[in-house]
Amino acid sequence: MRFVDEFRDPELGRAVAGEILSLVEPGRHYKLMEVCGGHTHSIYKYGIDDLLPANVELVHGPGCPVCVIPMGRVDDGIAIAHEDGVIFTCFGDMMRVPGSNGSLLDAKAAGADIRMVYSPLDALRIAKQNPDREVVFFAIGFETTAPSTALTLKRARAEHLENFSVMCSHVTIVPPVRALLESPDLRLDGFIGPGHVSTVVGARPFEFIPADYGRPVVISGFEPLDILQSIAMILRQLAAGRCEVENQYKRVVPYEGNLRALEVMAEVFELRPHFEWRGLGFISHSGLKLSEAYADLDAEARFSVPGVRVADPKACQCGEVLKGVIKPWECKVFGTACTPERPIGTCMVSSEGACAAYYNFGRFAREREVV
Amino acid sequence: MSAAREDCGSHHCITCGDDGVPMTVMRVDLDRGLALCAGEDGAKASVETALVEPVAPGDTLLVHAGTALARLGPVA
Repeated sequence: MRFVDEFRDPELGRAVAGEILSLVEPGRHYKLMEVCGGHTHSIYKYGIDDLLPANVELVHGPGCPVCVIPMGRVDDGIAIAHEDGVIFTCFGDMMRVPGSNGSLLDAKAAGADIRMVYSPLDALRIAKQNPDREVVFFAIGFETTAPSTALTLKRARAEHLENFSVMCSHVTIVPPVRALLESPDLRLDGFIGPGHVSTVVGARPFEFIPADYGRPVVISGFEPLDILQSIAMILRQLAAGRCEVENQYKRVVPYEGNLRALEVMAEVFELRPHFEWRGLGFISHSGLKLSEAYADLDAEARFSVPGVRVADPKACQCGEVLKGVIKPWECKVFGTACTPERPIGTCMVSSEGACAAYYNFGRFAREREVV
Repeated sequence: MSAAREDCGSHHCITCGDDGVPMTVMRVDLDRGLALCAGEDGAKASVETALVEPVAPGDTLLVHAGTALARLGPVA
């Protein structure tokens, strides 16, 4: 497959793994965070960590769109879904995220009209087909997904569609990364930067990481060779005493991002003063809401939502997993009470989540050698 | 349900996962700002092209949540 097979070549993979080995300083422990859940998924799926020496540790970051949604937001979505005449639409994994009293899937089983969609445009189509119903789209995701929601809202406005609204839970990637860098219990040596978020925002927003925190960042693609090469590029920076933002994913990511996407996002969204992240708590200016010009399409204004903050279940350690403080298998309920079939925490829901990715692909990890 | 959409099933939700999928433009609807695109597996979808216009049949786009985010060039 074009754009895929070229980046899964086992011979090249072995060569890059050899280069990584040669770049590792004996006795030094390297902690590299992959910010994006897509990378976490690829790392476990392709066994990339098995190709690394044991002193190169990959820490899984908060970049899984589903995993960072707090229980209170799920409850708000369910409350809207139960309103008379509402068709509630959302992406697939979001259906299974537990709220304080069940998931959207449970609410659907209880009679609410909740439908899975693949894009906000699908939700808009449902609104056109059902003019006598209120159609709400539960918008989640980072800057990768936000432009799609923004364009759909512009379309809804242009077509004077009045029975469509959005419950906006979009988040931005830079504030949680900064929060992690400020976290006293986490020492990181470098970052594998998010590839598809950067397609939209570009590489520039990550320049604060080397400038303010002295850590290298390499924006990376998602194929095995992309990730291996990015790790080699980070280690090369560390070996040379450099720290800067490099772009390994140049075939897709322009350094400036997609300016049209940034423009449409600026028109449709504005930053919330603060937004709650699962496991990370409230982070300033990290969530998006609809701008004043689109406020009439805001589902939270159109319907009453509880808006109550719900504490995570005590047994669940998603917060520590999302901060990279513990590994998925170190959680008390991993693989026992919490499985992809019956998740307690969000990290077990989406296959981008570190727990589900490890559960699905990484449970049979082999011993690795320390250099 | 198309093959690509089956990927959105119980195991891996490509939309939730911030995944971009390469798709080839088959037909362009200039009036509506949409293009009919096909994935490598033949799955077809209507894709919003406002962020990467102009597009033409044969172009390869990186698509996420029904929106093309970038144009994919030839692999160097």
